[in-house]
Amino acid sequence: MNNKLVFWIVTAVLGVCFCYILTSTVILPVFTKSVLPKVVVHTVEEKDKNTKSSKNADDSAEASTTSSSKESVDKLIELKKKEFLAQSRLALATEDSNYLVLDLSSKLAIIELKGVVLHEAKIIQLTLSNSIKHHNSEVLTNWASEPFSVKNIEATIPKIVFFEKIAPKDTLEANKMAQEPKITKQGDVLVIMDFHRNLRLIISQSELPDPEGLKAITELRESYSKQEVSRSLDAITHLNREPIKPQIEIVVSKSDATILYKSLPLNPRMILKF
Amino acid sequence: MEIEAKPYRLILSIAKWIIPLVFLILSIRMIINTPDYQESAYQVKGWFGDSSAYEGKSQKNIDKLAQKSRRNIASLEGRIDKLKPVKPFIVVNTNENRFSLRNAAGDTIKTGMCSTGKNELLISGTKRIVFKTPKGIFTVRNKQQARPWIKPDWAFIEDGLPIPSARSSERIDYATLGDYALEIGNGYMLHGTLYQRFLGLPVTHGCVRLGDKDLELIYNTLSKGSKVFIY
Repeated sequence: MNNKLVFWIVTAVLGVCFCYILTSTVILPVFTKSVLPKVVVHTVEEKDKNTKSSKNADDSAEASTTSSSKESVDKLIELKKKEFLAQSRLALATEDSNYLVLDLSSKLAIIELKGVVLHEAKIIQLTLSNSIKHHNSEVLTNWASEPFSVKNIEATIPKIVFFEKIAPKDTLEANKMAQEPKITKQGDVLVIMDFHRNLRLIISQSELPDPEGLKAITELRESYSKQEVSRSLDAITHLNREPIKPQIEIVVSKSDATILYKSLPLNPRMILKF
Repeated sequence: MEIEAKPYRLILSIAKWIIPLVFLILSIRMIINTPDYQESAYQVKGWFGDSSAYEGKSQKNIDKLAQKSRRNIASLEGRIDKLKPVKPFIVVNTNENRFSLRNAAGDTIKTGMCSTGKNELLISGTKRIVFKTPKGIFTVRNKQQARPWIKPDWAFIEDGLPIPSARSSERIDYATLGDYALEIGNGYMLHGTLYQRFLGLPVTHGCVRLGDKDLELIYNTLSKGSKVFIY
């Protein structure tokens, strides 16, 4: 009898816990349309209003009852996508810093400056989270309609390595100092960039890391996993439903990963093309 | 009969604990993998039924918006093109120590190896001298053939020599810069080198060193005002 009671109590408690966690971490965020971050820039409508000015009023007056075909709406969304992309590129091209253009359709990570392509890295493997894959084009277009600014960036390699050299006292000492160039060993690369609007970009190398590199990569990944767990716990205890974190993981060659990280400024900006 | 039923009952009494155990495991997994669980929900396409901002708009309005959008794209792309170089330009990759010479349209004319800054900090007493190639966009300010190099103080410090006076002839070096030099400001140049074997390696004090043939082509292709992109 006692055993039965214990069983039902434990089952009930764990069942309630399970339902609570399921509701707070999965069902509620999903059903309350915590879809993509609410900080989304202007909607297509607002952007149109900004550029349309007085013409808008005439358009609505002219509106006929014939509703538009899906095909023409899709074409319009494609055009809007191109327009926002051009707007973003212009906004960043007027600045004096390099920026990253992540072209998901062509599988390219491009570094640009003043509209000039400086470096093109071929994406060997591209992994998109479901929230990006399964959203409709219009929602994504709005979400990615302005450049993304980085909030936090962490990497397994330093941005720049400086060698320190004490000046020689005389020519004899100067000659003794190595004439051959010092070459730094290229470290294994994993870069995690958290952007505004909750986007996370992970850049990793296609080559297998050496033991030392593997340790650094594992440590960085683990530290991010821990952050995620604490975020989840926070969501459960405080019921603060955070918007979903769309994630893009790209695998490029080691040299490209190094270039992408080292060439971008400390607070890089990125345009997403899809 | 009772003897046969005992093990069966034991198995059942243990098996029933699987239910709370599954609850426990799933709860823990959900805490650890919340983002994954949330993301999985998106696999059901159309779950959210996001309605279009254009829903209900007339065909006429959609056409007008499309026309407007096309005009905007053309205008924006025109403005981006205006920011691009109008003359041939060079792109220098300091990570790989490579250059790419391009025409005004952006097509590559020549690629090759170069040497860029060695990222060194020379410490001499209280002085700290940084040898690093600056990154960004620069303009060719001056072009010269057989340009002598006026050695700065650090060249003597690095060689362990006493620093001569500012106008001393000891500072003039006719060989180091090679046949051509293109100045890009702040004392930085694209120039030749005596150390061709180091091309492709970071060995310079900040300038960009090029091989003789490449340098000649670059000198003849770029003019005053041409852009130099270094990244």
